[in-house]
Amino acid sequence: MRTLVLMMVLSLSVSAQAFDFGNFDLEKAVKTVQKIKKANEDVSEPQEIELGSGIASNLLGAAPLLDNPEVQRYVNRVGRWIALQTERPDIPWQFGVLDDADINAFAAPGGYVFITKGLLARMNNEAELAGVLAHEISHVLRKHHLQALKKGARSELFSDLANDAIKTQGGDPRLTKLVSAGTEIYARGLDKQDEFESDRMGVVLAARAGYDPYGLPAVLQTLQSINPNDSNLALMFKTHPSFDKRLQLLADEMTPALDAYERQPDLDVRFAGVMAARK
Amino acid sequence: MKRLIAALLTLGFIASAAAEEAITLRSTEMKAKPYSDAQTLLTLPERSKVEVLQRRASWTQVKSGKTTGWVKMLSLQLVRGTTQRRADNGLRSLFNVAQTGRGGSNVTTGVRGLSEEDLKNAKPNPQALAEAQQFAATKAEAKRFAMQGKLKAQQVDYLPGGER
Ligand SMILES: [Zn+2]
Repeated sequence: MRTLVLMMVLSLSVSAQAFDFGNFDLEKAVKTVQKIKKANEDVSEPQEIELGSGIASNLLGAAPLLDNPEVQRYVNRVGRWIALQTERPDIPWQFGVLDDADINAFAAPGGYVFITKGLLARMNNEAELAGVLAHEISHVLRKHHLQALKKGARSELFSDLANDAIKTQGGDPRLTKLVSAGTEIYARGLDKQDEFESDRMGVVLAARAGYDPYGLPAVLQTLQSINPNDSNLALMFKTHPSFDKRLQLLADEMTPALDAYERQPDLDVRFAGVMAARK
Repeated sequence: MKRLIAALLTLGFIASAAAEEAITLRSTEMKAKPYSDAQTLLTLPERSKVEVLQRRASWTQVKSGKTTGWVKMLSLQLVRGTTQRRADNGLRSLFNVAQTGRGGSNVTTGVRGLSEEDLKNAKPNPQALAEAQQFAATKAEAKRFAMQGKLKAQQVDYLPGGER
């Protein structure tokens, strides 16, 4: 495609000279081609992290961090251990628990992952926590939010960032707009297929990290059993495919591939110990 | 240790006087033990109602009539409103999360949490982000933590895509 565009521009420039169209600007045309090429590319890793930190900062503006250092450290250790089993072990992974009664979890580009205390409070062991974190980690690995931004109403700004037209330092208002658009994705939700993909990857990552891989479906099953009119689930329902569908797909995909790992530990006692120890 | 166990008991982690119910989503073999190669006690037809006793990995211990055995977790759907204990590990009172999830009623319950509006109008809080950063774990810490839990890293391939 790029080659074709380049050929067209070159032939145009040749014919421009041949027919003496005068002020045809070859340099400008080449630049346009470069811009088209660049617009098809993704943001760099530092740009991704900068964008993600802005979105994470916004999330923390909407819901405070849970004031419980022991729980925060624990969730970071579980998350970081899982992240070490992935294709992106070296980005600055950071995990957190939001002081919010809603049942939800969020991932932002560059390795930011948050779960609400409302979700944490419905888990029974570390393998369940690992399953949920691994699902969120998978969104970061597959850059699902970046893809949503690229396809969304602010796609122009996304190209500008990829094109280095927006500097991440210096408070460019266009970056602020892009960060807001990135935060709004949580109100709208990701592509359903991206959710299914993260479920599918999440159970594998939990198994790689040495956990019982059935933690994620166990959480989904618990949530499925909660009254759907519970307002704490409203946003989750709006932004995610149904628990029925997710569980049905996982049931088909996990058996028998992950059966060999089902006797890995779920570390219920360690989980309970951390949750029971109030600071 | 004694204090921990006492705390766990209080929180309902260990006590398992559950009266959860579930329905089988498909025809399902009930096994004597939570293993595929264990003896099959009976086959539950689709849409059988069972009492849920406990879960172990991909298996759930259930009671059907007078028979107790293990069925695959994902062949069950929990019955709403019977799963109060499962959906509450005790952290909710600890974390002051409202008692929600009692099934059956059509009344919207729960303390209002993060809403769409909150997300659309969110303003950055760099201070909270910096605070969160303090709790991040290094690779070495994560590895030590895994060792303490006797977690062993495994080589597992990603699963092929299901229905697209
Ligand atoms: Zn997700």
